[in-house]
Amino acid sequence: MTPVEALTTAPLVEIARSLRRRQVSPLDLVDAYSRRIEQAKGLRAFITLPGERARREARRAEWRLARGEAGALLGVPIAVKDLFATRGIRTTAGSRILRDWVPARDAAAVARLRAAGAIIFGKTNLHEFAYGVSTANPWWGVARNPHDPSRSPGGSSGGSAIAVVAGLCAGALGSDTGGSIRVPASLCGCVGLKPTFGAIPLDGTIPLGWSLDHAGPLARTVADAGLLLDVLTGKNAGRAARRASTRGLRVGILKGPIVEKVQPRVSRQVEAAATGLRRRGLRVHSVTVPEMEWTVATQLVTLRAEASAIHSRWIRTRPRAYGADVRIRLQLGALVTGADYVLAQRVRGRLRAALGRVFQDVDVLLLPTTPITAPVIGDRTARWRSGEEPVDGALVRLTAPFNLTGLPALSVPFGRAGGLPVGLQIVGQSMDEARLLAVGRVIEELTEA
Amino acid sequence: MPVTERERLAAAAVAAGLRLTAREVTDLLPAWKRYLGLVEQLRAALPPEDWDDAS
Repeated sequence: MTPVEALTTAPLVEIARSLRRRQVSPLDLVDAYSRRIEQAKGLRAFITLPGERARREARRAEWRLARGEAGALLGVPIAVKDLFATRGIRTTAGSRILRDWVPARDAAAVARLRAAGAIIFGKTNLHEFAYGVSTANPWWGVARNPHDPSRSPGGSSGGSAIAVVAGLCAGALGSDTGGSIRVPASLCGCVGLKPTFGAIPLDGTIPLGWSLDHAGPLARTVADAGLLLDVLTGKNAGRAARRASTRGLRVGILKGPIVEKVQPRVSRQVEAAATGLRRRGLRVHSVTVPEMEWTVATQLVTLRAEASAIHSRWIRTRPRAYGADVRIRLQLGALVTGADYVLAQRVRGRLRAALGRVFQDVDVLLLPTTPITAPVIGDRTARWRSGEEPVDGALVRLTAPFNLTGLPALSVPFGRAGGLPVGLQIVGQSMDEARLLAVGRVIEELTEA
Repeated sequence: MPVTERERLAAAAVAAGLRLTAREVTDLLPAWKRYLGLVEQLRAALPPEDWDDAS
């Protein structure tokens, strides 16, 4: 393996450093990633390949590096979920409806990546219009989990997670309305960060639910996610996390009905992490938030209404231009009454208040990101001792509360269960991303130990 | 007057401006029933108001 090939799966911070020191050329790196994409095309990670445009950007980055120019991501290939508008590059939202749309402007998040010197490295596959968690896309291909291609990568940012884990880019941009960054990060085995609501601007991102949508990074390490977060927010939580002490931090392990339906092998990983955190000097105790039981109903009513409002014209005039699952969700949303939506917002306010009370006693919450490991593609039902649950509902049961409340949440891989990755979720108070990243780093070290 | 769940759904769809085929109404029915159940859960999540039984 050549040095540049070895670098393709390295942490982003290491890639950026090698580029700055001119130990590797951006063009060689882009070509190495392109070869890997070709070898992994069966995973269906990309809708639009990086192509010649990325090579042109790499040549320009090479010139800039030679001139000694600085940029946190100068020459670093970053894959972008095909929900974010990219100037001059087709942006489909994973749909047939937008299959030929070439935006004139970059989304704000993409513009920030470019301003830091990143090479926009292809547009990744997603669940159609980001409205689902399987990335079984009827128009652009069924995405597959790099650990086991018979299994789902999760979604909706499935292509971004695949690209990060399979070494097809240095890092990726995703979006998260009910868990769409954290769910694929958990199922594929990478780091996924949904920051505080509003921390990353969404201008130029095709919306799904205005009050629930977030943008955020997917990366191979917590430090990588921190660097991308700093670029995307223009703040320094990632840098602050490197210096932050975690000793004495109060960690609440979430208990109660919402985490009763969790695969035992996933629960065991949570317990193992709790033990490890105690050994590292963090104070760990159990907490319950009974109000979280309302999450699924609150999220579903809110999202059905908001998504249907966004798609209100097309779902009435071109219903058959949508895939079957998304069409049904949008049609159902058209039937949500104003009274039902208001009811959901009242319950949402109670959930927000309940979590606010919990954070008087803890600094971070710890819980599984997903209650199950990657399901087999096409599986629709999760089976529990107490009954059945739709797989897509199970996958977002533990992530959606933090879209409803806007609290930052980080998914970090922690070991495996049955050969498949397990993701742990760390949740903090609003704008407390530095603390999440610091605790995430400790969990990462426990994995490495 | 719609009397069955399916007829209520079909009527609601027409009122919402959706043009559903009979097959689409059938496809939508399970999700609609689940949705109605979730709305009931939300109603139960809120405590009763003082004036709820006043009339």
